[in-house]
Amino acid sequence: MGTNPVPNKKLAIFTATGCRACENAILDIHYQVSSLARCADIAFWPYMLGSEVRDLEKQESIDVCFFAGAIRTSSDREAALKLREKSRIMVACGACAAFGGMPGLVNISQWSVVSGQSQRTMDNKQQTNEEEKPELPPLESRVLGLPQIVKVDYLVPGCPPTQNFLWAAIQSLVCNGQSPARLSFAASRLPEAIAQAITSGILPPKGSIFAGEKAVCASCSRVKEEKRFETYKRPYQAYEELGRCLLEQGLVCQGITTQEGCGGLCTAMGQPCRGCFGKAEAIFDPGAKMVSAISSTFDSDDAQEIAALVDDIVDLVGTFYRYTLPTQCALFSTPSKD
Amino acid sequence: MSDFEPKIIAFLCTWCAYVAADTAGIARYKQKPNVRVIRVLCSGMVDPNYVLKAFASGADAVLVGGCHPGDCHYISGNIKAMRRAPLLRKLLEEMGVENGRFRLEWIAASDAPQYAEIINQMSEEVRSLGPFSPSTIK
Repeated sequence: MGTNPVPNKKLAIFTATGCRACENAILDIHYQVSSLARCADIAFWPYMLGSEVRDLEKQESIDVCFFAGAIRTSSDREAALKLREKSRIMVACGACAAFGGMPGLVNISQWSVVSGQSQRTMDNKQQTNEEEKPELPPLESRVLGLPQIVKVDYLVPGCPPTQNFLWAAIQSLVCNGQSPARLSFAASRLPEAIAQAITSGILPPKGSIFAGEKAVCASCSRVKEEKRFETYKRPYQAYEELGRCLLEQGLVCQGITTQEGCGGLCTAMGQPCRGCFGKAEAIFDPGAKMVSAISSTFDSDDAQEIAALVDDIVDLVGTFYRYTLPTQCALFSTPSKD
Repeated sequence: MSDFEPKIIAFLCTWCAYVAADTAGIARYKQKPNVRVIRVLCSGMVDPNYVLKAFASGADAVLVGGCHPGDCHYISGNIKAMRRAPLLRKLLEEMGVENGRFRLEWIAASDAPQYAEIINQMSEEVRSLGPFSPSTIK
């Protein structure tokens, strides 16, 4: 590879508040990990290399930064601002960074409002108890997605992102599409503009989302017939590996509101869609759309029967906005930095 | 909060509730001036998205008015609205929108006095609830 005229790209990978499954997903691209090492120098990766945020000062610039995790603490915010300052391309990787993710559900509770107080009580405890404990940095007043505090160039949604799209993102942003043949699978699912850019080796348009265009139902393998709810079921109460649409069986499946791209992985295995790719583009608010979709399947004209059905359905916010509360809920979201 | 004037968005079906509102005006019933009416073809077409968008855009309350069950011009449009309302109300409540801020009412074309009463009642109820702002949700 000594003849390669293109210098290796400098890569940074970081997780703020999150479970690090996104970083594992980057490692989970199988043998392609070795080709990643051929076209990239990993300059900053606390999870794998033990780098620290202060090491970033030594870096002159970074080409591509994969940022995972939601913004929960002030140190998350500092890291995000620092990485944005140093990086040419900023990628929000995974549902937490892209939409706020599951940590974002805390915004619904009183706790996010009183966080200042719980911080203080924590500090007091530390003073009285003189043992040395890792300190929790001050909490933000509410959990945010990465696009809400810095400008983000690309989004790779998913919890964690699926291999094919992650690889497509790495190929097109880091490796400049050096092996287009391997991209055909992801390219066939990506919106045309991104797919064309990737296969011709140029950067996709800024702001692109590495996911499909339609809703998950478009690629779900299940048979859709007449939708009618008689009873509502939780996922553990019904399991049918093949066959009918899960929503028709009374499971709250979010495929209809969720952006496609995963190819219906969960629904194919009998698990209702949880919405980790965020809302499909045409949808204003995923919760309202789900309310509309579910209630139109109630098989009753009687107000009391409907009320009884509704009583069975629990935790609507936590279900409908499971990954997207800080960014895509009409009532709770704050604008992004674009 | 004595100078707070609630903003109520009313989605009224063109066949019943809107006619009632029109008649209430012509008949000069006393009504609170807090309502912004949006005329829709049927209460069944009021998507939950409209309601959420109204709240997100600064409405303090939303009223959906349709024909009585069985009277729908499109046979079953109001039944669709009826199926949607309880689940939507539950979602709104979980997000901190009090019950009184979203109402679904059946108002027949001849029910002008009832329309005026609902408007007055709702305005007072929302006034006592205070202004709704998505950014101040606790």
